[in-house]
Amino acid sequence: MTPVSEPTRPSVLHIFKVYYPDLFGGTLTVIRDICASLKDAFASAVLVCSKSAEERRDIVVDDVAVERVQSFGDVLSLPAAPTYPWRLWRKIAQHDLLALHAPFPLADLVFAFGLARKRPLVVHWHADIVTHAGLRWFIEPLMRRTLRQAAAIIVSDRVLVDTTPLLREFADKCHVVPFGIDTTKYDWPRIEPEHVNDRGRLVLACGRLVPYKGFEVLIRAAQGWNFEVWIIGEGTERAPLEQLIAELGVGDRVRLLGSVPDCERVKLMCIADVFAMPSVTNAETFGLVQLEAMAAGRPVVNTALDTAVPHVARDGIEAITVPPGDAAALGNAIDSLIRDPERRRRMGLAARTRAATRYSATAFKNGMETVYAQALAQASAASTSSSATPGWLEMIRIAGALAWSDMRHRYVRSLLGPFWMSLQMAIVVAVLGSVIGQMSNAGVLARLPMLALSMTAWTFLNSVVLDATTALQGSASLIRDRALPPVIFLLQCTFRQALFALHNACVPLILWLVLTPRDLSHALAALPGLLLFIACTFALSLVLGAMATRYRDLKPIIESSLMLGFLSSPVIWSSEMINHRSTIMRINPLTHLFAVWREPLAGGHVDTISIFYVLACLAVLMLASWLTLVHLRKAAFWI
Amino acid sequence: MASINLRNVSLDYPLYGAYDYSLKRRLLGHLIREQGGMRIIRAVDNITIEAEAGARIGLAGPNGSGKSTLLRLIAGVYPPSSGNVAIKGNIVPLLGLNAGVNLDFVAEDNIALLLRISGRKPTRAIIDEIWAFTELEERMQRLPLRMFSSGMLMRVLFATATAFPADILLLDEWLSVVDENFSAKAQARLLKLVSQAAIVIIASHDQPLLRRTCSTIINLDHGRVASTVAVEPPAAHPFELREIRA
Repeated sequence: MTPVSEPTRPSVLHIFKVYYPDLFGGTLTVIRDICASLKDAFASAVLVCSKSAEERRDIVVDDVAVERVQSFGDVLSLPAAPTYPWRLWRKIAQHDLLALHAPFPLADLVFAFGLARKRPLVVHWHADIVTHAGLRWFIEPLMRRTLRQAAAIIVSDRVLVDTTPLLREFADKCHVVPFGIDTTKYDWPRIEPEHVNDRGRLVLACGRLVPYKGFEVLIRAAQGWNFEVWIIGEGTERAPLEQLIAELGVGDRVRLLGSVPDCERVKLMCIADVFAMPSVTNAETFGLVQLEAMAAGRPVVNTALDTAVPHVARDGIEAITVPPGDAAALGNAIDSLIRDPERRRRMGLAARTRAATRYSATAFKNGMETVYAQALAQASAASTSSSATPGWLEMIRIAGALAWSDMRHRYVRSLLGPFWMSLQMAIVVAVLGSVIGQMSNAGVLARLPMLALSMTAWTFLNSVVLDATTALQGSASLIRDRALPPVIFLLQCTFRQALFALHNACVPLILWLVLTPRDLSHALAALPGLLLFIACTFALSLVLGAMATRYRDLKPIIESSLMLGFLSSPVIWSSEMINHRSTIMRINPLTHLFAVWREPLAGGHVDTISIFYVLACLAVLMLASWLTLVHLRKAAFWI
Repeated sequence: MASINLRNVSLDYPLYGAYDYSLKRRLLGHLIREQGGMRIIRAVDNITIEAEAGARIGLAGPNGSGKSTLLRLIAGVYPPSSGNVAIKGNIVPLLGLNAGVNLDFVAEDNIALLLRISGRKPTRAIIDEIWAFTELEERMQRLPLRMFSSGMLMRVLFATATAFPADILLLDEWLSVVDENFSAKAQARLLKLVSQAAIVIIASHDQPLLRRTCSTIINLDHGRVASTVAVEPPAAHPFELREIRA
């Protein structure tokens, strides 16, 4: 019997830095809740980093496939997982929707470079970057680019949009979906008014032991009063906190419980008298644990942060809100609740009502589902678009026709056409040859053909790049009125200059025929190198041409750089003329770019280093060209 | 089958000021955290157009209402900022008349190049046919376009651009540029081209022209569709043509 095939659910990839079982925490609870509550509508998967990924790369947590990328520890609160962007990029194609849980700059790298455009992106904005604010200048542009690509941004409270400058820029994309909680989980034991105040002085707090949670403040607050503090959670701050407890001599009343299973935590929440959330920075955006405590009917003491924290449990209704970092006020607030069982009961009931109504799990599920479905619908609509741009072959044909007509244009204006330039080249070679002959006494005549050929090649590279910087502006009307793809005109530069270079090549050809013994096999050996040279030239012109069109001030920089490149590379001089190969020459990619075809032509062997160097340059240029081609869609705006 | 399907398409047109073209300025702006003041106008705002084969759509509206930008968006010159553009069929955009002309070349070569740009192979027969339409002297084929009067130039360009039928024809203010003597013939040819094309979109200020040629007129205002008017199939249309020809 074959099972009836269900309609396939769209799959969502959740992108975050860490997941169960490596850590427990609010953000992870949210991701798990999303996966669980949307499981009928979406198939979820998670891609995270883990220090123990080496042992088990793919695991399943609560029916959700979790793929883990090896991380070598944390650097600046970020997992050092160099392969994460690569793995993310590979995974993107397998999913219909991407859910990025921000902040996570490692993933921003992938999104910022436009490598995930094919899939719709929803950003869950959990917090702003607070801890390493010094890195903002670098990370903020990345985050901005990510947000620009996002179809929707989900925040837990309106106040986050108002107080985060970066989010304000994208306010129209922001959807407020408050976290939800299933209050039935907290019905154990049944909450009776008389049950409250059995012990009367137990204060519970919960969270990873990290600085921003402010547990240090809570421990200090415990010193002056008579309540007990139990802190659930594990983390890097454990040792300093233990030391503080010992120093203050409150070891009998303050306990660090460590990690506690979920059901135990629910129990603890239900027997506590007061729940404290002493977080000290805006990294605490919502405080899911306070919502859990509210669901358990506990009164809350929280802090007046600029985030949703004081909006979830409101001062005087479900909570007492104190200034963050103020141990005296915190202790005072807790004590006032401990002393007043009736107020505790009232606040606890209000808290539970608010959790059940304002933050219901159903509302959360519906909200998420709507946003995800909208993002998917938008994307599927956009993906069906097919522009009627001509194919590559057609583009090359058009570029060729344009280049050919450019060349004929030269003949229209004068009989010699581009041979005027060849004449000029011949004169330059003659003059340079005689000058170099003065400098070194080696056979000048034998060197002349190579000098002429190098000059021809350099002229080609130089003119292609220079032409490319103005090509798009020069062809503005064809791009805007005939809808020709801009890349045609960058191709045209290479083709045109190649035609001119063929004219110029007459000079070295004649010199070669006259001056040196003819050996064709060397010329054949030089062909692959020459092709590499041309490919690099084209890729370079593509990248620089597009950039110079977008940023007009680049053109003079490119011009002077080309001049510098000409002087610092062995074009008119050769490496033997200088006594030893200088470091600059070895680093200079142009040296190698010339070496890969000049050496075999001269009958020598190419250094393996040169080949690798050129191939590496080509790879980099190819990548840059590909990015350029992506952005070239917008070229019509620039010209 | 040709079709055009725009759904909730918007286009944010970045207006690059002098400073926005500067990379140095941009990098410095990041360093000193200057709030980037690049202006963006919404040139096309949430426009939905569906056109199947046979549609004749006129775009009307004041200058700057987004007619040309919308045509360019359909032609694929500008990528949409949001929304969905789905187009089937080959597009022939006739937006600017002068595009791709080299005045130093002789007329013949220009025609050949223009044909190549639109993906056609220029043969002697085709060029002669185009030339016949211009009603210019045979020997002028060998003269550089620089020596042509503007009216003559228009004829050559018009004859070349309209030489081949298209699936989807995008026209921006074409008829107004053709001179008086030529315009009856040009109109006839354009109407023929329009009748052969599966979908035609014409942007024009000329309301009577739009009423004559189009089945639907979309009035644009500030990038939005202000109103859509269905034109009654003009019974007078074929007769009118005959009158002009007579």
